Amino acid sequence: MQRRNFIRKISVTLASVAGVLTGISFLKQFTHGRAGSGRKARVGRLADFPVDTYTFVEEQKIFVYRDHEGVRAVSAVCTHLGCIVLRTADGFECPCHGSCYSETGDVLAGPAPAALEWYRIEKAPDGVLVVDMNETAPAEEKFYLT
Amino acid sequence: MEERPKNNRQQSKTDQTGTAPSGTVSADQYRRKRIRRVTQNFFLHIHSTRVHPHALKPTYTFGLGVMLGFLFLVMILTGVLLMLHYTPSVDAAYNSVKDIVHVVPGGRIIRNIHRLASNFMVLIVFLHLLRTFYTGSYSGGRQLNWVIGVVMFVVVLLMSFSGYLLPWDQLSYWAVTIGSNIAASARELTDLLGITRFADIGGFLQRLLIGGETVGQAALTRFFMLHVIFLPLTLLVLTGVHFWRIRKDGGLSRPNDEVTVKQEKLYSWPLVMWAELAILAGVLAVLVLLAFFVEAPLLEQANPSLPENPAKSPWYFLGIQELVSYSAFAGGLLVPVLFLYFLFSIPYRDREEEYIGQWFSGSKGLKVTWKAALMSLLVVVLQVFVMVRFGWLRDWFPGISQWFVLLFNPATISVLVFALYAVWVGRKSGSARMSAMALFTAAIVALILFTVIGIWFRGANWEFVAGG
Repeated sequence: MQRRNFIRKISVTLASVAGVLTGISFLKQFTHGRAGSGRKARVGRLADFPVDTYTFVEEQKIFVYRDHEGVRAVSAVCTHLGCIVLRTADGFECPCHGSCYSETGDVLAGPAPAALEWYRIEKAPDGVLVVDMNETAPAEEKFYLT
Repeated sequence: MEERPKNNRQQSKTDQTGTAPSGTVSADQYRRKRIRRVTQNFFLHIHSTRVHPHALKPTYTFGLGVMLGFLFLVMILTGVLLMLHYTPSVDAAYNSVKDIVHVVPGGRIIRNIHRLASNFMVLIVFLHLLRTFYTGSYSGGRQLNWVIGVVMFVVVLLMSFSGYLLPWDQLSYWAVTIGSNIAASARELTDLLGITRFADIGGFLQRLLIGGETVGQAALTRFFMLHVIFLPLTLLVLTGVHFWRIRKDGGLSRPNDEVTVKQEKLYSWPLVMWAELAILAGVLAVLVLLAFFVEAPLLEQANPSLPENPAKSPWYFLGIQELVSYSAFAGGLLVPVLFLYFLFSIPYRDREEEYIGQWFSGSKGLKVTWKAALMSLLVVVLQVFVMVRFGWLRDWFPGISQWFVLLFNPATISVLVFALYAVWVGRKSGSARMSAMALFTAAIVALILFTVIGIWFRGANWEFVAGG
């Protein structure tokens, strides 16, 4: 290999590597989210949730369900395209493109690619329920038996 | 309507029967005067001095390209006026648009014109695409201009998409939520492949588009920037290149037959000017008149916890929304990307030049077009009928893998059938042009049908209704 070709190859390689790296960091600028507050949310005290009812929590877009055995929390965001699902007599239904979910959040019909997620619930020292949306839980699991 | 004066000198020598009046001024002087008029005026300079009469045939172009140019100007002017009163913030946007409608003098009309012009732009850019395709205007050196045109088509759609987040009403919020989740639906595929953790393309696209996971201030800021700076500038530059290419390619496409070739070129001034002024006057008249009767919708303020039911986008996106209701990834990303790929590739597959400038490539092509349209009608209606009457995979096999939902739905099956049909037509006729016509027609007819279904046959919960 001639020296000229060698230098040319080296510089082209270096320039492309530099270009790709700059490109990536440049793209990162556009995808940078604001520093998150985490995905843990204080949703209220146990007494705020009526028994045998799915209560919609607006900010987190979840349903909190309480019965005599405990509380559970399920995502209210349709896994298809992010609309808020409606509670029906025996499950959930999305108004946007008609995905239907069962009582446990499994997909029954429509284009939804995945089931609705159920989240772990903790109790903060001051007694407020904290839904941890980083951790999913089985649909049947109930927290804070009373 | 531009012509490159290729052999102007030669022509003017042979052109003894020109339009010059007899009198004291010689024909040559008269011609020079006209040429100067054109070359020394910026607006007339967009056109060449002489234009082929075929380019002025109303039934050839329908003036669609010129209409689009004027509509774009109207969009810029009304858009600037709207910008004077609009505030791009989540808290203030809705009320500022409300002020435009109810408080700002004439604001309602300006907003109505802006919205009407954008609707017409989408409609006419679509018709312009049909016109250039069915007259075979993409070949004969015009490949690049066709590609630029397709890019402009996409930019126009993006402009309207980015525009309707701005009022921050229910339509804005949910249309963009759905749109950004369509971008994120690449996850559907990466989830199935199990590689989302390493290559979350969907999440990347979503964050790129709306600056987060959900639609909020970041999304509004981004869409405002896209709508008022980035996309209009892009469209402006592309429009310039598009017009310039027409002249570089020797004017508008026209048939290569003997009659047309022998026809003498006409002076652009004042013929073309009158034709274009007439179109401008028509466009303005229609817009202003309609603006008094057709109100641009403004729903309630965006409510992130309660979607509209049904949550419908504007009419021109309802075809895609119908596809998306089968599968987000297949209908929202896969099929549109395949369609765009097909559009881009047309002039490089079909290099047959004998059909340039002929509507539907003559009677043979017209037959191919009709057959493809009928075939597409059958395929789409049959599938939708099955879907409505008997349900689809999930109803027959509960718990079926997402792979099947993604791969076998009316969107993907139609694409497959159309592609096979086009290959068959190509084999039978031995012509890439006929094959392209079959596929293009089938795709367009299907798009129109899905749009019609989305507009009139989908009701609450996206359930099928007979004529809603």
